[in-house]
Amino acid sequence: MNIFERLQMLDRRWIFLVVAIAIIVPLIIPFNSKTYTTEPTEKLYRLIDSFAPGQDEKPIEKDRALLLVFTHDASTMSELFPMEVAILRHCFARKIKVFTLTFLPSAAPIMDYAINTVKEEFPEVKSGEHYVNFGYKIGALMLPIILGMGEDISEAVDIDAEGRKISSLPIMKNIKNYNEMNLIMDFSGSSAGGAWIVYARSKFGANVGAGVTAVMAADQYPYLQTGQLTGMLAGLKGAAEYEKLVDVFATNQDPAKREFSRELLKDTKYDDAITNPNIKTKFKQARIGMNAQSVAHIMIIVFILIGNIGYFITKYKQKQQG
Amino acid sequence: MKRSIPLAIVIILGFLFVGYVFIPHKISSDFYEWYMEWMKAMSPFGVILGIMSIIMTHTARIQHKVPNWQYSIVTLIAMIFTAYAGFAWGTQEGTPFMWLFKNVQMPMGATMFSLLAFYIASASYKAFRARSAEATVLLLAAIIVMLGQVPVGVSLFGEGINDITHWILNVPNLASKRGIALGVGLGMVATSLRILLGIERTYLGGGE
Amino acid sequence: MFEIVSNWVAAFLTLCIFSFLYKDNPFYRFAEYLFVGVTAGYTIPLTWEMAFIPYVYRPLFLQHKFILLIPAFIGILYIFTFNRKLNWLSRYPIAFGMGMVGMGVPLSMHASVLVQMRGAMIPIESINSLLVFIGTITILLYFYFSKAHTGTYGKVVKIGIWYMMIGFGASFGYTVMARISLLIGRIQFLVSDVLHIIK
Repeated sequence: MNIFERLQMLDRRWIFLVVAIAIIVPLIIPFNSKTYTTEPTEKLYRLIDSFAPGQDEKPIEKDRALLLVFTHDASTMSELFPMEVAILRHCFARKIKVFTLTFLPSAAPIMDYAINTVKEEFPEVKSGEHYVNFGYKIGALMLPIILGMGEDISEAVDIDAEGRKISSLPIMKNIKNYNEMNLIMDFSGSSAGGAWIVYARSKFGANVGAGVTAVMAADQYPYLQTGQLTGMLAGLKGAAEYEKLVDVFATNQDPAKREFSRELLKDTKYDDAITNPNIKTKFKQARIGMNAQSVAHIMIIVFILIGNIGYFITKYKQKQQG
Repeated sequence: MKRSIPLAIVIILGFLFVGYVFIPHKISSDFYEWYMEWMKAMSPFGVILGIMSIIMTHTARIQHKVPNWQYSIVTLIAMIFTAYAGFAWGTQEGTPFMWLFKNVQMPMGATMFSLLAFYIASASYKAFRARSAEATVLLLAAIIVMLGQVPVGVSLFGEGINDITHWILNVPNLASKRGIALGVGLGMVATSLRILLGIERTYLGGGE
Repeated sequence: MFEIVSNWVAAFLTLCIFSFLYKDNPFYRFAEYLFVGVTAGYTIPLTWEMAFIPYVYRPLFLQHKFILLIPAFIGILYIFTFNRKLNWLSRYPIAFGMGMVGMGVPLSMHASVLVQMRGAMIPIESINSLLVFIGTITILLYFYFSKAHTGTYGKVVKIGIWYMMIGFGASFGYTVMARISLLIGRIQFLVSDVLHIIK
């Protein structure tokens, strides 16, 4: 028996140990790595950024808003939570009106947690004025609310998570339905904006974006091509890309550089995020994770190769023995 | 009677909703508002179902002393205590209810799924074999996409790996997913149509 | 201090679940059953607060919209699902919710079929759009089971299989990424929030 054949017999708990080490080591030894942004992420970023008020415009007057829908529980939080944090940070930094909503009871605390995580860094941002948490609405009301918001958001949602009448909130000035709340971002490990595409987009023409776990990412390309999905954040990589875009543009110290530009993205001075102490860990969680992801992917590829070499050697030997 | 009245409700409401999609009239939006108010009033009771199912399953396990029945006590106590915490101290941030959710439910939910990372690694070692030409293509596409997602892919193979991944996702992958999506889409429409016309009735359960 | 204790509770339960990797054991089972219980218990007060109070109690008792007694009564019929003799009553709330399917027919037709078909019928201006076109057609032919996959037809649908294999490969690559990401999240929690190894 040669080494490859012996490796085939290995107890899987040894493999588990290798997996654990491959992930722990890159997390405790930080190093910089470049994040390459992709088109589906950039498209979303640019659309959301276009909702920001102009320099002479009061944020409250702006007639554009974004809805973030949390359609996931803690199980897929590792992938989706960094996306939510990155988008909320973008909105708060650029004073973009943003709403949050969920139809899953287990997503309600995640929503609070995401908002609070980002809000700590933006003391000037106020609930009811810059953002509103619509809170948890029971699942059976999903379709009625999706359709209802096409007519009138205040009526369909009725009250927010704090029990306030939506119609009485200052943020609702100039915001009535999907004509103004023009983008819905659905974060999900299962639906990828499904109901929003079928109902909000088909009937009212709302833009729909998806923050999906990587498992579902490949399935979304037909919808991206037809424009039914405006853009997509795919798994931890998508979150890392968005984190970078927010760092480079939305929170740029120089106001002249807050517009999206491909030139600025290529600037290598933005590649030191992981070791840069000025960027808080919570705003680079996905990029730190991507380092471990790098090592883990190489590990999996090596596993596939070793497994296959062993397989072909065994097959060859069996053939020789007739 | 036990079946035909619910069936009639589905068909009548169904056609009213078809009308709602196509007719932008006050009557249709009034109908919609009425429906929404009624749905809202009905909605809390559906949750009782899930809770009852859990109580029944676990009390039966305890009564019949099935193997590991003791753990069912843990489930029931945890459920009663969590619900009690919510009613007694409220459900806002900073209450015991939220503490339970954040430090008990959330970490366990996230960890359960993270076990899959270990299993997919062990499967890629023990099961993913290039047994045929088709399987080889599948594995190659997977390896390229894996490399295209992570920074190290570019360090090892240059930016070309990003372009190849982009091509795989936007050309052959798009075509394959569209073919499948069209099939699924037609299936969904057909099922909805069968329900609307009263041909598909399994959602009403068995019996007369 | 309180935060440290909370994190250690979460870390202990996280390790209970991870212990399954070694083998099934009482710690894992305890955590599993606790998880089910807390999850179920969690929905009860939330439903009460977010659905029963605003949609049933308040309209009925404060605004006196007594007509809502009818849907509330229909909603209660749900509980007969578990009664063998009376479970037909639970068909009423189900039927009422199912009515929306009427909207699903035209809107799903639009979103899932017509728009996708329109996307597949763009002018072929590049090799890539030709490749997408060939792929879509051959896969649709593959799923047409009324004709045996033999001869020239068999060769054509074979192309569809190759496309699907690449598509499945892409999904598999992404799936590996997803699973690893979930574990990364948990390890980040353990090494950063609990052990404070990463600042």
